[in-house]
Amino acid sequence: MLNTNFLNKKKGGLAPFFAKREYLFYIGPAFIVTFVLMFLPLFQIIVGSMHKWEFGKPLFDSEFVGLRNYIELNYGYVSFGKSLLKTSIYGFGSLAIELCLGLLIAILLTNMRRTRGIFSAIFIIPIVIMPAMVGLTWKMYLSYDGLVNWVLSIFHIPKMNWMGTDLALVSLILVDVWQWTPFFVLILFAGLQTLPKDPIDAIRVDGANDLQTFFYVKLPLLLPLIIIVCILRIMEIIRNFDVVFAIYQGGPGSSTETLPIAVWRMFMSQRQVGMGSAFSFILILLSFFIAFIFINFLKRTRVTH
Amino acid sequence: MRPELINWKVIFIFLLIVTFALFFFFPFYFMVSSSFKHPLDSSVYPPIIFNFEPTLKNYTTIFKKYPMATYFINSFIVASFATLISMVLAIPASYGMERLISKNRERVAYMFLTMQLIPPISMVFALFWYANFFGILGTYWLLVIGYTLWNVPYAIWLTRGFFTTIPKELEEAAFVDGASRIWVLRKIIIPLTKPGIIAATIFIFIGAWNEFTLAMFLTDSHTRTFPTTLGLFVTHTGILWGAMFATATIGVLPIVVIALLIRKHFVSALTLGAVKG
Repeated sequence: MLNTNFLNKKKGGLAPFFAKREYLFYIGPAFIVTFVLMFLPLFQIIVGSMHKWEFGKPLFDSEFVGLRNYIELNYGYVSFGKSLLKTSIYGFGSLAIELCLGLLIAILLTNMRRTRGIFSAIFIIPIVIMPAMVGLTWKMYLSYDGLVNWVLSIFHIPKMNWMGTDLALVSLILVDVWQWTPFFVLILFAGLQTLPKDPIDAIRVDGANDLQTFFYVKLPLLLPLIIIVCILRIMEIIRNFDVVFAIYQGGPGSSTETLPIAVWRMFMSQRQVGMGSAFSFILILLSFFIAFIFINFLKRTRVTH
Repeated sequence: MRPELINWKVIFIFLLIVTFALFFFFPFYFMVSSSFKHPLDSSVYPPIIFNFEPTLKNYTTIFKKYPMATYFINSFIVASFATLISMVLAIPASYGMERLISKNRERVAYMFLTMQLIPPISMVFALFWYANFFGILGTYWLLVIGYTLWNVPYAIWLTRGFFTTIPKELEEAAFVDGASRIWVLRKIIIPLTKPGIIAATIFIFIGAWNEFTLAMFLTDSHTRTFPTTLGLFVTHTGILWGAMFATATIGVLPIVVIALLIRKHFVSALTLGAVKG
């Protein structure tokens, strides 16, 4: 084969550059839109977070404070640590319940034959309902004379004040469980359907019962999928603004003040743009960190497949 | 084996799963049915489940008292444009990524994914600042741009898998005949992956239709979209539950129907293509 590289070098100009990098033509537009338009706000957040910047004041009149916003991380009654704790309780609480319940329903669903389609159709509904409406309808169901208390009264459980300071976070978990357990059901059900048959048959021949088959063979095989679903959920939980906002707006007091709500409050009620930008940037870093874990995990599972 | 023992087990499992299904279905049923109740009946205790006379009173209220039709059209315009632009940008990008990049393909894909995972709430105030600076605050375009930002990476990840399933020989045969790559993409690749692309498009549309965070802060009273109308029904005298349920039903029911039509693609879309449904 002839070496034709020297021909390209002689021509010069941009044409050979693009001829060699044809992908730029395809990926370029999407890349520019996503990255340029994302980096402009990101840049503004980083610069803003280093100033004591308040609403209504231009950025260049504000005092430069360096990293002080990141060191303090609270202003007025809104503090980052507190809302991180709230988010963790809310996140891990709902994650644990959703995982157990989702796994249970997915296993029950594998036992169904003809009715499988109807049930999986029902489980799709909560996922696609608009989150803002989920929040608002559940606000009514959770009110003192609402649906939840009525269902409890059937079982002779006294009415509870779900909107009170003590139970607000619990009711947030309840709504999240309602909305997102189906997500676990659908994905884990799909996972259970595609499990390899050989190891299951092997342990069956050895005389294992249903429970043993599940815990010794199916669960370990399902583990990568479970981890993927959990990471996806954590990512959704740290960005879940709409449902929390629609139900309680972070209240009563600050009992449901999760991270997105804290960011919103720092901007809108405390009117601290600089500190709010610092909150935002840490939230972005947190999501990058979870994304990093997720990507590493995806890489590993892709290779083994 | 005793047959009656097996029967009991099946019945028990069936009843258990029906209970769970009821838990997930009942709030949805109550929302839809309450929208057809008399406005005063939707928040009484004990709640009325079946025996009510259906009326359209709530629906006439929301369309007469509030410009709900405008909000509906706003939502539709914004969601459609955002979906269209995202898909037009994302399909060539994911095709080019799969076929033209070999060494750094995964790295580019993960860069896009990372962008998609940024929480909208952390960006919304900076976007607001820029929109104010460029004078596009309160226009459709602002919201379309905002949705495109988050949906292009998502669409790339949804459509990535489709292009790898098509054998390269098919394209090479066309190249030998003198076809350009764009022609091949338009006339061969896209028609072959049509069902998947349609499902991905519907997914993006549902996401844009349901989006709340950006819509809340980047719209004004003229470009308000459907999900942000919830504040309207919180009045001095209490929340107008009947009207609220009617609004929710209008916003949710079409989406549920569309979603059920493409439910085969659901699992792979929810996991960004990590799991094949």
